Amino acid sequence: MSGTKQGFWAIARREIVRMQSRPLYGLSMIFAPLFCFLFFTTLMGEGLPQSLPAGVVDEDNTTVSRSILRNLDSYQQTEIIKQYSNFAEAREALQKNEIYGFFYIPKGTQEKASSQQQPKISIYTNSTYLIPASLLYRDMKTMAVMASAAVGREVLYAKGANLDQAMGFLQPIQMDMRPLGNPWLNYNVYLSNTLLPAVLALMILMVTCFSIHTELKDGTAREWMSMANDNVFMAVSAKLFPQTMVFSLMALVYLILLYGCLGFPHHNGFWPMFVAAELLILASQGFAVFMAAAIPSLRWSLSLCTLWGVLSIPISGFSFPVMGMPPALQALSYMFPLRYYFLIYVDQALNGISLVYSAWFYVALILFTILPLVDIHMLRKAAYEYTYMP
Amino acid sequence: MLDVAGKELRDTISDVGVLVFFVIVPLLYPLLYAYLYSREVVHEVPVVVVDECRSATSREFLRKCDATADLKIISYCADMEEARNLMHRHKAYGLIHIPAEFESTLVSGRQATVNLYCDMSGLLYYKAMLSGCTMVSLEMNRDIQMTRLSGLSDREKEVITMPIENEYITMFNPANGFQAFLIPAILILLLQQTLVLGVAMLAGTEAERRRAGVLILGHEYDNPITVLGGKALAYLLVYGFTATYVLCFVPWLFHMPQLWQLPTLVAFIIPFLLSSIFFAICISFFVRDRESCFLLFVFVSVPLIFMSGISWPSSNMPAFWKVLAQLFPSTHGINGFARINTAGALLQDVRIEALSLWMLTGLYFMLSLIIYERMYRSDKMPGVEFVIAMRARARRNIRVAARDIREAGQEFIETTQRIQNIRRYRRGKKNN
Repeated sequence: MSGTKQGFWAIARREIVRMQSRPLYGLSMIFAPLFCFLFFTTLMGEGLPQSLPAGVVDEDNTTVSRSILRNLDSYQQTEIIKQYSNFAEAREALQKNEIYGFFYIPKGTQEKASSQQQPKISIYTNSTYLIPASLLYRDMKTMAVMASAAVGREVLYAKGANLDQAMGFLQPIQMDMRPLGNPWLNYNVYLSNTLLPAVLALMILMVTCFSIHTELKDGTAREWMSMANDNVFMAVSAKLFPQTMVFSLMALVYLILLYGCLGFPHHNGFWPMFVAAELLILASQGFAVFMAAAIPSLRWSLSLCTLWGVLSIPISGFSFPVMGMPPALQALSYMFPLRYYFLIYVDQALNGISLVYSAWFYVALILFTILPLVDIHMLRKAAYEYTYMP
Repeated sequence: MLDVAGKELRDTISDVGVLVFFVIVPLLYPLLYAYLYSREVVHEVPVVVVDECRSATSREFLRKCDATADLKIISYCADMEEARNLMHRHKAYGLIHIPAEFESTLVSGRQATVNLYCDMSGLLYYKAMLSGCTMVSLEMNRDIQMTRLSGLSDREKEVITMPIENEYITMFNPANGFQAFLIPAILILLLQQTLVLGVAMLAGTEAERRRAGVLILGHEYDNPITVLGGKALAYLLVYGFTATYVLCFVPWLFHMPQLWQLPTLVAFIIPFLLSSIFFAICISFFVRDRESCFLLFVFVSVPLIFMSGISWPSSNMPAFWKVLAQLFPSTHGINGFARINTAGALLQDVRIEALSLWMLTGLYFMLSLIIYERMYRSDKMPGVEFVIAMRARARRNIRVAARDIREAGQEFIETTQRIQNIRRYRRGKKNN
């Protein structure tokens, strides 16, 4: 085509103009990721939820029951917001979502305890809300065991034992739990480290696929191809280059946010994660180009890219482990770039082990990047023959 | 109103893209998700062991750990180095270390410690390890105490070792599992999001067709209430079926807890669908083509599920996000449905959520009314300005053409007369 410039930079410049011409690109490439970065890190700013609302039914109302409640309230994660007069009332509050769990101390607890009849206290949680329920359970269980131990200790003291002997008797084997890499059980560390790149990868998949197929839809693909001298490889890479730059900037923002501002564990330093993030961007772009070339319909290839982006969040296994999934889905998890990013993050940032262990995960991401080599020639054909079907 | 509803239904059925959102995605997506979490919890988390004590007690402890549903010992390592290596290669997610002085400490009557190291890439590993080992230690502690208290009766021993018993009852989600906790939320969110995407796509198509001048709206589009009512009716009809499948059939298929009472469910889902529909219509006014809705609305699902408070507790959310969350039907829908479905709540228990949904229905209805009025009356609706311009140009062209024809006719008449005049003149000359 005479009159239009040719070559890599001309196409890249053309792409920048195209990106500026529609607010859609700005919204999806810059606003959407930034919004999510800010949302998740501030939402879970507490790290581990504190002062979860809990209730109590104290039918006993004695010194023992009151001391249990006082102790429970002093736990950081539990806050007794209300005393209910009976079980039915507490259950109703649970169903109304006023509290996540409650302690039930039946009548005669102290009396039975002192007359050595082994009373029973109960812990109820609403596990519809899994996270607060399990956190409350942990506090309440400890409290219940300790209340029991307190009574037992009194008996032993009365028999002349000292503290050491008493504990040695009451709890001969003790557990010392050491959560590696995230000793605070910080949910922000646990979730944001994968959620932020997941959202970014989702946007990359969609934007890449969309921007290639709009060329076909609007009938500008021929001009685009001819600017690259019919070299489809150059056409695609030049077109995606400005997008890669914008996404890299976004990746830098979340890396600095997580590892700089919030100081999340990054035991092997900044660079392994930076490389992983860059490769995740390229892998996502590569996967999207592969899809765009394989399926010559804007809607279908965009739908598939979207499905892949959304599905990669649960299937990467950062919230529910892959080993707990059905075998078919375990195998499928290898088809998602985010899965490899997550594994790299675990090795390099969380556990800080040698790069050797993660080498194959980096290689997998590179393989996704060069995946389009398989079918990119189909894109060239489509550029000349395609007609848009709504 | 029925005309509009009919047209909307016809558009929906004839548009594969919209059918994908309204039917195929709701049909398949929940199955995939429910399947993903079908095992509810993780069992048999692989762990490695470094047993420096090598005594009968330490072996008993490990054997019991291996026997729990939570843990599975995959290797007994000679030293920490070997164990760590297995963890680094993602072969094991936990490490149980029993120190050399374990048995001797126990025998001397002091407290012995078992060290547990846990990979924190998933909190479920931590949970499995903690609950597995705690269970074993409680059991063994009791046994150890029993043997030390020889001479007393069994009942006496029990009373001294556990003066107050405790029990744990996890209500509404007996397996404490992922599926029963997350799937109800995903189902509700799916209904809202597919509605938004489908309606936006319909609106995008309409905008594209208007821009191309193919579509000219009839007079029934003059009354905004008719238009909105008609559209809502059409979507409600389709989603009546979709919601029944998604909310009733899918949980049944995967044997999830289903404690709802029909009147409560219906009375709650109707305001949820209505508010989602008007929310979708409201958004669809800003859509200019078929596909951009993907880029703008899909990612929102991820924050929305967190905003609902089903995962991160809403009692611990920053106030700003909490307020923002109130604006989305999914927030109230998820909280209400999760409790109706999983906790057997009645309408009175979820009345706050139901009321909020009715308020959102009103809010988004009014908003769509205002936007429609403004866009339609001032011809700002995408494409309308073009239609008007086209009409004006056509009228002008017709005027020009008519003038041309008139002028051409006059010229023809004039020329004919001139020719006749010349002929007459020549004839006269000859006669003379």
